[in-house]
Amino acid sequence: MTEDDPTRVPRAKNGRAPDVLRVGGWVPMRCFADDEQVDFVIVGTGAGGGTLSCKLSEYGFSVVALDVGPYWRPLEDFASDEHEQYKLYWTDERISGGEDALELGRNNSGQSVGGSMVHFAMVSLRFRPEWFKSRSLLGYGVDWPVDWREMWGYYREVEENLCLAGPIKYPWGPPRPRYPYRPHELNAAAKVLARGCEKLGIKWCSTPIATLSAPRGLAHPCVYRGFCIAGCSTNAKQSAINTWLPRALKAGAEIRDLAMVGRVELDANGRVRGVHYHREGQWRFQRARNVVVAGYAIETPRLLLNSACPQAPDGLANSSGLVGKYLMAHCNQGVYGVFDDEIRWYKAPPSLSLTEHWNYTDEGKDFDGGYAYMSQGPLPVEWSGTQTGNHKLWGESLLRDMERYNHYAGLKIVGECQAMETNTVRLADEKDRFGLPIANVTFAHSDNDKKLIAHAKNFMRTALEAAGGYDIWAEETETAHLMGTCRMGDDPRSSVVNPDGRTWDVPNLWICDGSLFPTSGGVNPSLTIQAMACRIADRIKALAARAEV
Amino acid sequence: MRTRARPADRLRALQDALAGNARSPALLRSEPPVGAQESADVARLLNAGCAILASSVLADSSMEHYRGSFENKAMFVPPIVSTLALIASLHGASDRSARAERRRDAIYALSAAAAAAGFGFHLYNVGKRDGGFCWENFFYAAPIGAPWALLLSGTLGVAAERVRDTRPGGIPHIFGMAAGRLLAGLTSAGLLGTVGEVWLLHFRGAFQDPFMYLPVTLPPVGAGLLASAALSSKPKKRPLTRFWMKLVTVLGLAGMGFHIYGVHRNMGGWRNWSQNVLNGPPIPAPPSFTGLGLAGLAALRLLEGPKNE
Ligand SMILES: Cc1cc2nc3c(=O)[nH]c(=O)nc-3n(C[C@H](O)[C@H](O)[C@H](O)COP(=O)(O)OP(=O)(O)OC[C@H]3O[C@@H](n4cnc5c(N)ncnc54)[C@H](O)[C@@H]3O)c2cc1C
Ligand code: SF4
Repeated sequence: MTEDDPTRVPRAKNGRAPDVLRVGGWVPMRCFADDEQVDFVIVGTGAGGGTLSCKLSEYGFSVVALDVGPYWRPLEDFASDEHEQYKLYWTDERISGGEDALELGRNNSGQSVGGSMVHFAMVSLRFRPEWFKSRSLLGYGVDWPVDWREMWGYYREVEENLCLAGPIKYPWGPPRPRYPYRPHELNAAAKVLARGCEKLGIKWCSTPIATLSAPRGLAHPCVYRGFCIAGCSTNAKQSAINTWLPRALKAGAEIRDLAMVGRVELDANGRVRGVHYHREGQWRFQRARNVVVAGYAIETPRLLLNSACPQAPDGLANSSGLVGKYLMAHCNQGVYGVFDDEIRWYKAPPSLSLTEHWNYTDEGKDFDGGYAYMSQGPLPVEWSGTQTGNHKLWGESLLRDMERYNHYAGLKIVGECQAMETNTVRLADEKDRFGLPIANVTFAHSDNDKKLIAHAKNFMRTALEAAGGYDIWAEETETAHLMGTCRMGDDPRSSVVNPDGRTWDVPNLWICDGSLFPTSGGVNPSLTIQAMACRIADRIKALAARAEV
Repeated sequence: MRTRARPADRLRALQDALAGNARSPALLRSEPPVGAQESADVARLLNAGCAILASSVLADSSMEHYRGSFENKAMFVPPIVSTLALIASLHGASDRSARAERRRDAIYALSAAAAAAGFGFHLYNVGKRDGGFCWENFFYAAPIGAPWALLLSGTLGVAAERVRDTRPGGIPHIFGMAAGRLLAGLTSAGLLGTVGEVWLLHFRGAFQDPFMYLPVTLPPVGAGLLASAALSSKPKKRPLTRFWMKLVTVLGLAGMGFHIYGVHRNMGGWRNWSQNVLNGPPIPAPPSFTGLGLAGLAALRLLEGPKNE
């Protein structure tokens, strides 16, 4: 092992952290001692934790953010090789069960400084306003304890931070300001979606996406090579690792890579004292006035459950019994077809066009909720996985169909998943490499999910046909983004955290990630996670001003 | 002394001119007379401007159409025609004679016609894409404003030949209008059209660098100054307009520098030149302003009269 192996030796220490925008560069980093009581320890540096680290440190709080993942240098560490890039995923042992057991890792969880955003597909969509009150306005799910107008402002803040490239005018929902950068040129795969929509008479648009269509500082514009979900080696992708975290470092936050938090410790008064974390071969304890857990929908409840102690025998913040419950996973079925023209769908970011028609249209549905669908561009290894798994091809037939790779195009949904109490994250008896009980995940689709999937597959099949596709087939099982497990609400009996992201049970314990979602909406979640983090930061600032933090 | 009626007169003159009134009012026909040497010099300056416009088109269209794999045979036309226009312009710029040259004339007319056809092609290319005439297609389909520079090179070239043809001591006229005024008007319109194209492309680039505002703010001022010179009643020195045309001339060259810098901001920088030259901001495009700046200076020479130099 070389000394600069970021998976073995931490990079962010001794007063400096990697400068992800310069080859071999460093930026200065303020460092805190373990026994120094910092204002905030944040567990996880992804969409939720990364954003919050930035905002809180810019507001003048002392922040230590811990992540078990390595601190990558995208310009140097990312290879154009799908297998090599598996290193970005959370592939530590987990147990997955239930009727529709989730395939964990590649498509739903990351383990890096910067979180799952390091390999996210960059699609950055706002919730439909009504979804924040889906129970009151649309008659399903539960209401969020926040107002969409407030979120609208925070969405804007995130869109600016990520310098989103998006259409001049977004065709759905209330007006929004222009996206900071202009839309990208559509690739052939995106044009297939456009053609299908035009033929069926529904609206489509170029996707608001977090990759640069023009230079931004030291970050290069997108080169359209399509390696996005294997990690972007040009920094065109705008995510936590190259936007929020550099800002956080500049504002005085400390980021500790390869630091696994195993337990949040509660004192005799029912307040957290700090976190036990493992780094460089030993367990340490970081003192903190507040702890924020932002490990995403599996690791956040796992950490709370693993932190059970005599004062909280069922796990921290779990008086409602809801920690780890109501796990959601977006429906993510694709429909694929062959085209006479060469498509070369791997070129450019995978989802350059989309339609939210079925998110904003309530008529003509036999299910609750909605879905968006997007153009697709799987890389060859991923595609062969889909072919062997969902398409059930093998041997000669697989080989022959793989030869049509460049003529394939596809459409894929992000479909709203109904929250069910029976979809859970619990602790298993097995232990991980740190000796911590691993997560046991149970998942099954609701009947409503199944109806939504059937509707979407039907519709997308028609759209592909209309666009000139043939030999069309649809995926059976596929899920994407995880959400839920520590839902936010107005009532301590039916939620884990209050509208400020503060746990009902422990006043100085907060949650700030995708696990807060009470409902999933029919769009990719990261923009909402980041917007919520900005909102929580503002709430914390306001509360601190009144000495309530 | 100025009289109050003048602005209205000017306006009327302009309206008449725009309406194609055959007997343009005296104002638009009047201009200081020029000597044989002077008319040849002005024509040569114009030819120099045309040469720069033509070389900008030659480099830009070759690169962009190469990028488009010369998918359609017609895509060879602009590089070929602009090469001819470049040769004609260089020939003109070194030709001291005071007589028009037929072959140059023909080439310029040809390039103007080819540019007009180019507009048609590019417009068709935008419209036929999924989504039709939408922003995305204006950004990424065939650039609608690109043939503009070739059109300008052609028309300014034709004008140069007319100026050269002026009999010694006469007033240079083009299609019944005083050449200086017509050229000032044409250059002013040319600047505005070019600004339109630049605005579209810099808007596509989200004006990510504040310098990207320069070519959409400085040239319109120059266009305004030139237009007002075109419509003024009396030959006089115009130091501000002259300065502004020099500024525009320099801006075109500076723009090239900015674009060279812009190419380096793409992944791999200049080491990856073979991709980034095609991907990055078009290096040959900004000198269009230089060509127009020179044309503006030529127009001013006619408007100001030789003594006012
Ligand atoms: C392939 C893929 C494509 C995606 N595409 C999109 C998309 O196009 N648009 C979109 O909006 N979303 C997309 N997502 C989803 C998006 O990336 C996630 O929803 C989002 O990043 C979740 O944010 P988070 O802060 O909740 O968690 P994460 O971003 O996953 O961050 C959690 C971090 O916490 C760390 N962590 C966890 N537990 C501990 C612990 N105990 N100690 C220390 N560190 C810990 C992890 O290492 C991780 O880095 C995609 C996800 C994947 C996997
Ligand atoms: S296609 Fe663009 S965003 Fe995706 S990996 Fe390549 S440069 Fe990055």
